[in-house]
Amino acid sequence: MAHTSARQPHHPLWTRAFHGFNLVVLLVMAASGLQIYNANPVFGGRGGAVVPDLFTLGGWLAGGRDWHFGFMGLYALNLGLWLALLIQRRRRRLGELGDLTALKASASAPRRRLSAHRIVYTLMLIVLAFSLISGLAMVKPAQFWWLTSLFAFAEPLGVSSWQALRVSHLATIPAMVLLVVAHVVLSWRVGGLRLLRAMSL
Amino acid sequence: MNRRQLLGLGLGGSSSLFLGGCALNGLSEAVGNATQPLNERLEALLQGQGPVPEFRPDQVEPAALLVNSFNGTPRLDPARYRLQVKGLVGRPLSLDLEAVAALPQHSCVMRHVCVEGWAAVVAWSGVRLADVLRLAQLSPLGGYVLIDSADSYFESWDLASALHPQTLLATHMNGAPLPAANGAPVRLAAPIKLGYKQSKWVTGLRVTATLGERRGTWEDQGYEWFAGL
Repeated sequence: MAHTSARQPHHPLWTRAFHGFNLVVLLVMAASGLQIYNANPVFGGRGGAVVPDLFTLGGWLAGGRDWHFGFMGLYALNLGLWLALLIQRRRRRLGELGDLTALKASASAPRRRLSAHRIVYTLMLIVLAFSLISGLAMVKPAQFWWLTSLFAFAEPLGVSSWQALRVSHLATIPAMVLLVVAHVVLSWRVGGLRLLRAMSL
Repeated sequence: MNRRQLLGLGLGGSSSLFLGGCALNGLSEAVGNATQPLNERLEALLQGQGPVPEFRPDQVEPAALLVNSFNGTPRLDPARYRLQVKGLVGRPLSLDLEAVAALPQHSCVMRHVCVEGWAAVVAWSGVRLADVLRLAQLSPLGGYVLIDSADSYFESWDLASALHPQTLLATHMNGAPLPAANGAPVRLAAPIKLGYKQSKWVTGLRVTATLGERRGTWEDQGYEWFAGL
């Protein structure tokens, strides 16, 4: 084993643990969230199109809520610790304004890829934090009324703050799917199989 | 392992996770049982005693308020209607609608949130549940209020939520007498609980020290009991 690990650099254990756990938690949150969606589709309400059973978790509304609220604490804890550790120890992984400039101006393709990857990675963290905030606003609209009222931005367009909140919370699923695809593709181009192994094994 | 094998493994692995979802459905209740006690305690802590900010009367959304009924729409005769208050009270009551109307009237413009995901701003008015319980000389031993409805719907509330100043026994909705579909003549309405806690066609209140086997029509099927907002 010592021979292998000398040849194959690994990310620190905490990075790999948070990364793997995050994937599981996100799948649970998304699938149970879609189960809750089906009780009253955000688009169309009663009688609106529902998500196929294949992508849902819980079996029915109460089961979906069991999973969603059972895992929300783990989700928040995982995300919070991960963010804190990143900022403290691996801040270079996070995107910065220089990355946007590099993306436009750098002549070096690897530099541009690294910048793109850092931006995607940082956007993922922002979307994850947003899904937590919008989720809190929806599950505790009485206690966190100030959070819920932030979603009144579409009222001039005739969209109630509640509907804007539901759409925003749901939108984090397609946003994360797109970002995860970009993340996997960019990881592959930056580090190939070696990076994938170093991250997951 | 080459790139193609790895991709195949990844695709196979993720699809089996989705298929595994069906097998995981049986675990839902266990997940809920493991996490709900902590969640409910946090909810109760968050709720406190303070009032929830209200909406303006012109913000009501009558069309957004959907009707859910567990067992049809009972039509109660207003003349024969009585609200029974029993259990751990010093003075059991049987109030007719006139007696309810004689109590101090309050209103609350709040967001009614259904467990299904939809919500509607509604203006409820009527009497405070706290006023009715105090009129009946609520015993300090009371910890829960059990709520019986004419359609045999059943609910139970923690006393702190029942005594919240915005928890109303509503007789009016959006400025008009309560329609039958929305719970006439008396229903529960509070901005601090999900819709299924807010019984319609309320006929009886029972104050108890402990929670029994039956905790609520939907709770007994798997919904959360505290259901705080």
